[in-house]
Amino acid sequence: MTGVELHHGAATDVGTVREINEDAFLAEPPVFVVADGMGGHDRGDVASRIVVEEFARLARTGYDPRRGPEAISATLRASQARIGEYDARQRAQGAEDFQAGTTAVVALLIEDDDQPKWLLANVGDSRIYRFNQGVLEQVSVDHSVVQELVDAGVITEADAAVHPERHIITRALGGHDVVDADYFVLPLAAAERLILCSDGVSGMIDDDTICAIMRATGDPRDAADKVVAAAVAAGGRDNATAVVVDVVGWAEDTPYDSQQMRLSLEQKLGALP
Amino acid sequence: MNDATIGTWSYRAGDWFAVFGSGTTLLLPESERERVIDLWAQVDGGAAFTQVLDGLLTSGLSSLPGFVLVETSEGGPTRVLLRGEGVRATLTTDAETVDLDGAAATTWVERTVDGVTALSVIVGDDAGGPDFAIDGGLVRVSRIDLPPAGQLAPAPAEAPPVEAPPAEAPPAEAPAVEVPPAETGPIQAEDPLGPPPAAPPEPPPAPAHMAPWPEPEGEPEDQQGAPPETPAADAGPDAEPNTADMPLSPPPPPPTPPSFDDVPPPPAPEPGPWGDGGFAETAPPPPPPAPAGDSDHDGHTQIGVSPGAEGPEQPGIPGQPMAPAVTRPVAKLIISSGETVDVDRVVLIGRAPEARRFSSTDQPKLVTVPSPMHEISSTHIEVRPGSGADHGSAVVTDMGSTNGTVLVQPGLPPEDLKPGIAVQLIPGAIINLGDGLTIQVARP
Repeated sequence: MTGVELHHGAATDVGTVREINEDAFLAEPPVFVVADGMGGHDRGDVASRIVVEEFARLARTGYDPRRGPEAISATLRASQARIGEYDARQRAQGAEDFQAGTTAVVALLIEDDDQPKWLLANVGDSRIYRFNQGVLEQVSVDHSVVQELVDAGVITEADAAVHPERHIITRALGGHDVVDADYFVLPLAAAERLILCSDGVSGMIDDDTICAIMRATGDPRDAADKVVAAAVAAGGRDNATAVVVDVVGWAEDTPYDSQQMRLSLEQKLGALP
Repeated sequence: MNDATIGTWSYRAGDWFAVFGSGTTLLLPESERERVIDLWAQVDGGAAFTQVLDGLLTSGLSSLPGFVLVETSEGGPTRVLLRGEGVRATLTTDAETVDLDGAAATTWVERTVDGVTALSVIVGDDAGGPDFAIDGGLVRVSRIDLPPAGQLAPAPAEAPPVEAPPAEAPPAEAPAVEVPPAETGPIQAEDPLGPPPAAPPEPPPAPAHMAPWPEPEGEPEDQQGAPPETPAADAGPDAEPNTADMPLSPPPPPPTPPSFDDVPPPPAPEPGPWGDGGFAETAPPPPPPAPAGDSDHDGHTQIGVSPGAEGPEQPGIPGQPMAPAVTRPVAKLIISSGETVDVDRVVLIGRAPEARRFSSTDQPKLVTVPSPMHEISSTHIEVRPGSGADHGSAVVTDMGSTNGTVLVQPGLPPEDLKPGIAVQLIPGAIINLGDGLTIQVARP
């Protein structure tokens, strides 16, 4: 994993409507997390903080870079268990049906096929985007009712943005069910920049706006600040959090070689033996 | 039901696999799943008795604990071969009754009898239970009868009484109408974990048999899709539409379920580069869960019930991740750049391959290949162990590559892979990704 340098920035804002910030984030290279706690009176801020604490522990203790999914899966299970214990304590104190919950998006540097790569994981509707050569692409797939309706062709992406059930998610940490994340592996060269954000960002500003900010902003710290500020300026109806990570000093090792391309063309045309 | 067409058998549910073809019927024990899959195509294709026998014995008799092979022909003799402990057949003619026992010989028992009026084969313990009619297909049985046993179950046991009248009314003039309820019967009537959903409901006048393997998408539909005669299916506890594929997948592994996971939902025949069923959640969601009343949910993210119901369905130890699916390699890929890769799970090959939406236990292998001209796309092809009809071999899918993929199978002309469409690989096949890079498919 030598030769990989990560520059990052992070920002969070309570927004203009909410009183507490239930989002939490972690930016301790090579581990990056955004968690969006749910349900104000059920203390979603505790649930999201638990996730971040558990991943901070992972960042400190280290992990086997060739067994990334296991590391994330184990950390998510540990988070789930702690949230369950917290729920149980609250219920014991008389809070019936207490159930805290949180989303989580995670980016972890791993080794695969002897190359450093990004391992990404997602539970819920927080998002991971990649920004590569001026193009923004959402990598994670929301675990939400509207996403499933979109996948099934029932509604369009545009409908999804204004759908009344757009905040109902289908997977989250907290509760009784065993939850596993969806995982993604990207070569570093295919993700010059990663953006992890809560739905307080992606729900307030569209992908084009995020893309424009990324294009205009070279420093990841400024990029994170600007994205969150834009979400708040657009209404700030939810806590907004963004973590931006740039991969520095990692060039794709198979650059397009015009010289070789020309030679090959000549070979194909029979000009060379 | 007594005037069912010639060639119509009846069966009782059990552990053995039974393949009903047009003239040949084959029974194999539960352990011989692989053979069943291999021989299914032959039997269903109308292969002659001797051909099926050849196929049955290719890997030797010693590894075959038992089997039953029956040849019936209209007006001609009936030939029965049996082998195995507890495998019995009874042939009745006008003159005599012949009892055969598969344990009576070290190789197998063979008997040819003319003028057979009734034939029944019992494998293992005949637990009784209803008889279902079948005239082609693959089911799991404990007993089969020709002609169909006296009282065919007209409908599943727990079917509501409403169903009885229609089942009784039409038999005289339309036996065709009657067969489908009987065939779909066992699927609903029994524990969904038990018998395999192997026999797709077939239109009874079955001159050309449907090929059930490529077909299984139809079946969840039948279970959930509420055809008029199966109200019981919808009322049943396992009949929630979005869990339809759930009871079909856990052990004991029946032959088809793997394909359920891989077959994209019917409305999406042309998956995008990443839309392959292996990654995509397949169940189309029903209407979303009840909303929480007020119209402004901003900032009130809630946990809903997943229409895909993906979380809770995992078997295994609660709180523990599922054990990795242990698959033995079905093929070996010899890549011209020098690398050799076993296909024991999903393998993604390209210039800079990416893996999308996998679970913590099924991480794909990413194989990076050199492509100095950039003719190879970042994620160019996927090779994975096949399921269903492709079980036991590898299948290749072009992941929407820019320059396409050419496949040369032994003895076949070169073929351009269509993006998103899986093609079964034969050992000896060559996959050409461009840029001078080829992948040779070999036995594992």
